[in-house]
Amino acid sequence: MSTTKTPQVNEVNEFLEIASDFEDPLEVIRESLSNSYDAGATEVEITIRDRPIGSEIVIEDDGEGMDHADLESFFDLGNSTKRGRQNGSIGYKGHGTKIFYKSEEVLVNTTKNGTNLRAQMDQPWEKLNNRTMPEYVLNEEAVKEGNSGTHIRITGFKSGHGFSPASLTYNKIEHYLKWKTLAGSTGHFFTDDFPEMEITVTLGDEIDDTRDQLVMNNKLEFPTEQRNPGEGQFSESRMCKHYPPRELTVETENGTKTTVEVVGMVGGKDARNELPTYGKHSAQFGVWLAKDHIKVERVNDTISHDNEFLHFFFIANCQDLELSANREKIRNKSSPVYQAIVEELSHYLSKIASDPWFKDYLSHRRKAKLTRRAESQQSSIEKREQRIQDRNRFTPSNDAEVVLGLERSNRFGAEPEITVEDYDPSAEVNALVRQDTNLYASSIHRRLTDHFKADKPLESVDKIVCWSYGDRDELSELERSGYHSGEVTIDLENDRLIYNNGRRHNIHIVTVQDRL
Amino acid sequence: MESRSEQFKNDIFEISAEAGDARSGVLRIGDTELSTPNLLPVVNFYAGGTDASLYGGGIHRTIKEFMNGDEVVNGGDYSRYFDGVMTSVASLTDYGISRERYEDYISEPIRERDVFDFDGTLFLDSGGFKFLGDSRLDGSDFEVEVDQEAIVEIQRKLGGDVLVNLDRPIAPDDDYPTRVEKARLTAQNVDEFLNLTSRDDTRYLTLHGYNYSMLDTFLSEVEKVIGRDRVHREFDGVALGSLVPLKDNKEKLITAVSDCREVLADWGFEELPLHVLGISSSAIPLLAAVGADTFDSSSYIHSAINGKYDTSLYNSEPVDDVDFSKCDCQVCSDDVLVKRMEGDAEYQKDKLGAVAMHNLIIQKEEIQRMQSAIQSPGDGELISYIEQSLGREKSMQQHAHRVVNESLGGYF
Ligand SMILES: [Zn+2]
Repeated sequence: MSTTKTPQVNEVNEFLEIASDFEDPLEVIRESLSNSYDAGATEVEITIRDRPIGSEIVIEDDGEGMDHADLESFFDLGNSTKRGRQNGSIGYKGHGTKIFYKSEEVLVNTTKNGTNLRAQMDQPWEKLNNRTMPEYVLNEEAVKEGNSGTHIRITGFKSGHGFSPASLTYNKIEHYLKWKTLAGSTGHFFTDDFPEMEITVTLGDEIDDTRDQLVMNNKLEFPTEQRNPGEGQFSESRMCKHYPPRELTVETENGTKTTVEVVGMVGGKDARNELPTYGKHSAQFGVWLAKDHIKVERVNDTISHDNEFLHFFFIANCQDLELSANREKIRNKSSPVYQAIVEELSHYLSKIASDPWFKDYLSHRRKAKLTRRAESQQSSIEKREQRIQDRNRFTPSNDAEVVLGLERSNRFGAEPEITVEDYDPSAEVNALVRQDTNLYASSIHRRLTDHFKADKPLESVDKIVCWSYGDRDELSELERSGYHSGEVTIDLENDRLIYNNGRRHNIHIVTVQDRL
Repeated sequence: MESRSEQFKNDIFEISAEAGDARSGVLRIGDTELSTPNLLPVVNFYAGGTDASLYGGGIHRTIKEFMNGDEVVNGGDYSRYFDGVMTSVASLTDYGISRERYEDYISEPIRERDVFDFDGTLFLDSGGFKFLGDSRLDGSDFEVEVDQEAIVEIQRKLGGDVLVNLDRPIAPDDDYPTRVEKARLTAQNVDEFLNLTSRDDTRYLTLHGYNYSMLDTFLSEVEKVIGRDRVHREFDGVALGSLVPLKDNKEKLITAVSDCREVLADWGFEELPLHVLGISSSAIPLLAAVGADTFDSSSYIHSAINGKYDTSLYNSEPVDDVDFSKCDCQVCSDDVLVKRMEGDAEYQKDKLGAVAMHNLIIQKEEIQRMQSAIQSPGDGELISYIEQSLGREKSMQQHAHRVVNESLGGYF
């Protein structure tokens, strides 16, 4: 004899479990925004207060409102009506709104097609924890046709540790909304009829009184482009280049296809700071995977490790990503499609990393980061003695010995007399030398080519003192490709180097070898 | 001002299409024709041969059998894969050769030998890289002093279509004075080479250097010795050498070849065909994309000798693991040859020779695809070719991007 049995679901436990996944009151807002968007709202107002009786979160929109069925699905589990006006509606399995159960009261007031529905649920969290299903009282009332919209009030939201509404600030909210919710949607890059929504957030003065409210839209916008470096020491910091929307077709090994919509920017610190950021940049920039154009998780290893992900901000949207119930994680990471998406993204980002603009940006950055480091010559006494015995005439083995060589040449009567007055191997311009009565800012190196290898500046240098030139082809390559975005002309006949980066700099080359 | 026809005595190279810096055209030398870009397999025509057959020597012998379409390799016509062939004077040094055999070997031009049915273009390299250490051609019981004169004599006797001067390759760690000295010595050979040959010969000038400045220095040295006039008038092509030590550094190879094209343009040589000596297989599409016209490669043989069956320019499998039905090349479509590759062969050369032939076909087909990508209008085809062929190989991706960025207008 055989019987068929269906596994039973304990509804109360299910509700408890799902609602427990949500900790942060901001998640209430994220879910509400998605609902409002799906309801076609053009304006959403969010108000958060911290009252003595507990926190209060109010979300009000001008969307199409809810009827009986919509409201049921709002409170029910796993029963999303997906009633969005477009296919890309965001509600996922109707789990999102279950976060509202984590409170002392849920009040929904909604109007659709001439009917106003008011649903009030008391002590949902307490009841769930007492293993009873919370119920809601529903009142219906006819209202004038043409009005619609939804007003939700959550009172006494039970935050997880460290997530209380009192800890919120406008900055934190703006960052959260732009980074984690549809307020930071990249959808508008990919469609002409993107539904815009104005989002207003008001925090009670007891939470943050630094401003009255925060108004934003539901579009992620990048800082304006600035492809050329600016002035000053960190000339790369406001550089910014947009990489316009691209649709990448991804094919998995088993032949299924999907599309990844990717858009992004590369930029320096100042450019990135124009985005609403909060806390550490390292937690924000890089490459984001998104669904419904809402960022979910980062895949920074799609950027080859020699490029610091911090300079990148890319959002790759794919509807074939599946999310966990609380939308915080991607669920199908072991699927071939996920692997293929990541693969394709790495490939795309490697193109960006090879973009000549990016390389130029990095070289400006390197220049800015130039550290003042002394060349420390570590070698044992014996080795050094040996070296002296091996050489039949004086040749310097480090920069400091070039200084000695120069002094020696003076003693032997070389003209003109050039003396080192100040030598600081750790300084950018490592020496001050005197010729006749004048002091000259100088760079002292074993070979002329070393000056360039060490990435030292030319603007502030009057003389380069070197033992010898080094590889002349290397110098010719410098003349050909330029140095620090200026032009270099080397006139060895006249011991002169001309550097032109808008201004012309004449640099005298002193070859110590020729003076001895 | 001279007209172009005076400047170049025989326009052997006709460029018919360009995409970025890449170009496609035809090299007409004597009665042979070679479409470019092209890859010349290195063939060792001596390979221990005797008069009885010039077919000595293991796998090399099998390759020559394929060239000929012999019955021993089941009689297929493989001649299209040997439209151009590179051989080096230095190939003689691979064998302990007697004076008699040496004389015998060079007694008749390769293309006129009865035992061969070869009518492709024959490049005859000087083998400078091999004589670098001691300038002797070592036989078992004799020595030929290798100088420019001896090399030209051998090149002529073997009937080379393209002759290359004896050169002094540079090494990556040579310093500036050493490179200048080598350029000067090469220039002296070039001077002699020009005296020993005539305008009826097709002559390639060897260049050595890893970037623009080195190549410019090299050319300047040559000019100092032979004079401006001759450096500009006498050569039909340029062969870029000394790259073998860089063969695993694609970055440097690309720089060397693209800088070489730039130097040639600045010297007024941009229309000369550019051959890249000794660099093969996976670098070819990259280097062709930045403007190299011909290549020579012995990697098809070397892979085979190491038991490697190429599945693309970038990948290979141990020959004993291969499913030959996955390749539809002429070799793998031939049951007799497949059986041999599967191990049913009397000698290794019968097994590995067929593998080498397959490897060569893989390389030749790739260069064929490259040709048609360059020939199709615009740069798009070449970009997508590079994307699909190299861009999907992790190790090649960066280089592919660089070539697209630098030579084909970039992505953004
Ligand atoms: Zn095959």
